[in-house]
Amino acid sequence: MKVQVRAFANLRGFAPSGDGEFELTLAEGATVADLIAALRIPAAVEAVVLVNGRRADRPTALAAGDAVTLFPPMEGG
Amino acid sequence: MHGWCGTILRVDLTRGRVTTEKLDPRVARAYIGARGFGIYYLRKEVDPRCDPFGPENKIIMAAGPLTGTAAPTGARYVVTTKSPLTGAITCSNSGGNFPAELKKSGHDAIIIEGRSEKPVYLWVNGGRAELRPAEHLWGRSTHQTEEALRRETDEKAKTAVIGPAGENRVLFAAIMNDRDRAAGRAGVGAVMGAKNLKGVAVRGAGEVALADPAAFKAANTRYREAFKAKTKDNPPPLRTHGTAITVVGTQAHGVFPTRNFQQGTFEGWEAIYGETLTRRFLVRAKPCFSCPIACGRVTRIPEGPFAGEGEGPEYETVYALGSNCGVDDLAALTKANYECNELGLDTISMGSTVACAMELYEKGLLTASEAGMPLRWGDGAALVRLVGMTARREGFGDILAEGSLRLAARFGRPELAMVAKGLDFAGYDPRGEQGMGLAYATSPIGGSHMRGDPAYFELLGVPTSVDPHTWSDKPPLVAKWQDLFCVIDAAGLCVFFSVRYLVEQNLMVKPVGITELLNGATGAGYTPEEIERAGERIFNAERLYLLAAGFSRRDDCLPPRITAEPMPSGPAQGLVCRLEEMLAPYYALRGWSPEGVPSEAKLRELGLL
Ligand code: SF4
Repeated sequence: MKVQVRAFANLRGFAPSGDGEFELTLAEGATVADLIAALRIPAAVEAVVLVNGRRADRPTALAAGDAVTLFPPMEGG
Repeated sequence: MHGWCGTILRVDLTRGRVTTEKLDPRVARAYIGARGFGIYYLRKEVDPRCDPFGPENKIIMAAGPLTGTAAPTGARYVVTTKSPLTGAITCSNSGGNFPAELKKSGHDAIIIEGRSEKPVYLWVNGGRAELRPAEHLWGRSTHQTEEALRRETDEKAKTAVIGPAGENRVLFAAIMNDRDRAAGRAGVGAVMGAKNLKGVAVRGAGEVALADPAAFKAANTRYREAFKAKTKDNPPPLRTHGTAITVVGTQAHGVFPTRNFQQGTFEGWEAIYGETLTRRFLVRAKPCFSCPIACGRVTRIPEGPFAGEGEGPEYETVYALGSNCGVDDLAALTKANYECNELGLDTISMGSTVACAMELYEKGLLTASEAGMPLRWGDGAALVRLVGMTARREGFGDILAEGSLRLAARFGRPELAMVAKGLDFAGYDPRGEQGMGLAYATSPIGGSHMRGDPAYFELLGVPTSVDPHTWSDKPPLVAKWQDLFCVIDAAGLCVFFSVRYLVEQNLMVKPVGITELLNGATGAGYTPEEIERAGERIFNAERLYLLAAGFSRRDDCLPPRITAEPMPSGPAQGLVCRLEEMLAPYYALRGWSPEGVPSEAKLRELGLL
């Protein structure tokens, strides 16, 4: 299945294309943890993950067409 | 004393006299500093019912025990006064270098009272202080004033000044320090203008004395190392992109206020967020005193109708002058930001007031001839013009200068002002972020995010994530974070560093690192619990002032757009803010009556009776 991904700030560096906006193909039933693994984001690099604008934890299952947003924890605005 | 200087400078503008007095060590211990000193002296000396522009109002500029030390982000001071915008207390916080210099001059605080006949400025040179004529500076921009003060006093002096907006008593005029750092909110600059005080220049004479330099240094090194270790391979987003990177979090959650909070997502967000700012305009990152993060932005618009240079925009400005006015032209909103800085205006209330005017125009309640121009969403050129007109109170600017609530009321629709207690919201729509609604409604200064910012745990993943859509779990969290922010503000630290490195990284945020640094600096031997109690004391003292100023439970409210109009689209679609459900449990756990009044038992416990 395919999901749409947008990665920001330092997490952009993990995008396959070098651009922060890309489509990713994952196995049916893949989770957020699988997506993190597919992008090779190490455990030491913190990432907040949103799926369709809602917070998702590592075990959250993804569905085809989901919009995934990745950004580092931020100290504020 | 250590950490504290032990001396308060009192400036009587009416008599033209400057005196010093001792800081009571018991007050220092109980209120810590900065924001704590602000409310302590305000309650003691300023009638809550007074005219904010009258000579009986005072301005308390206070630093904390860690301000001016090597503590990470020991850069901050707080300006406390009775606000002309809201009639409530306001305490506005700023960094830069002025606050540290104030401490190095040997003063914890300056209390400014009375009113000068003619414009003056205050020159604090170490232990000596004097008032000097400032008629020649009246009408000058903040940058011009800063340069002139430095020329006339000492080239190394640090300054806090007002621009034309403060002189003209624009109700949301700011006090600007170190060029473009702002104590911005709720009109502190207008009070300074009403007192005919154009600025303060300070030159330090020594260093802040520490009680236990070895223990202080050990703690300081440890927390700085922790920061370095975490950011070595991943620089903090705030340094790389500034606070405007936060758009990513608010837009993705659907709480990025757009067109006067009519929507929570902005189609033009990519054109105005932090990474675009970095790519197009960033010259360099600029830190405040002793700050390892450096979120400040020195920027330049190289060409076009808005060419210029200055500092900013920060996240709040990108929201207020950008999405909230429908402006996706980064150059225009950055230029409007520069103008606000030079004229001395709070960017949040400026943008919020223009957004309110644009909605009145959209609804046909305000005409182009009344406004002097069409006020279409997204018109960046109009936005830039309106900033100047507001600061000078020119034409329609004279109406904007009164702020969004008075503007909306004038055109018969007060509910279109996106405010709590008359202070414009920060850049978070509480419909998709329930805790923020409670924080806005119960903040002692009105609609501020800096009085206990739930966006950290609701949107930004710090220290961990909590569902932003739930409300029943929010009252204890909001209360906890409000008290923590009192502590951070009182110590003289910046929230941005403190919430990640100086408190335990769970939702209860015990201020262990702050306590350790405070003890090294002051030798007070605080426990984290005593520090938490001091935070609660400050928050309750501010509440008492608010109540004495005539506010009550019915003012702990939000506009109907937030509590009754479901968010029309985006990830927060269909939601309203459940403020009523949160308020009663919040009051109860704070030890307040159902009317929001602190109980006698609570006040006794906090030593506030
Ligand atoms: S994080 Fe930003 S606002 Fe805070 S002290 Fe550092 S530069 Fe100043």
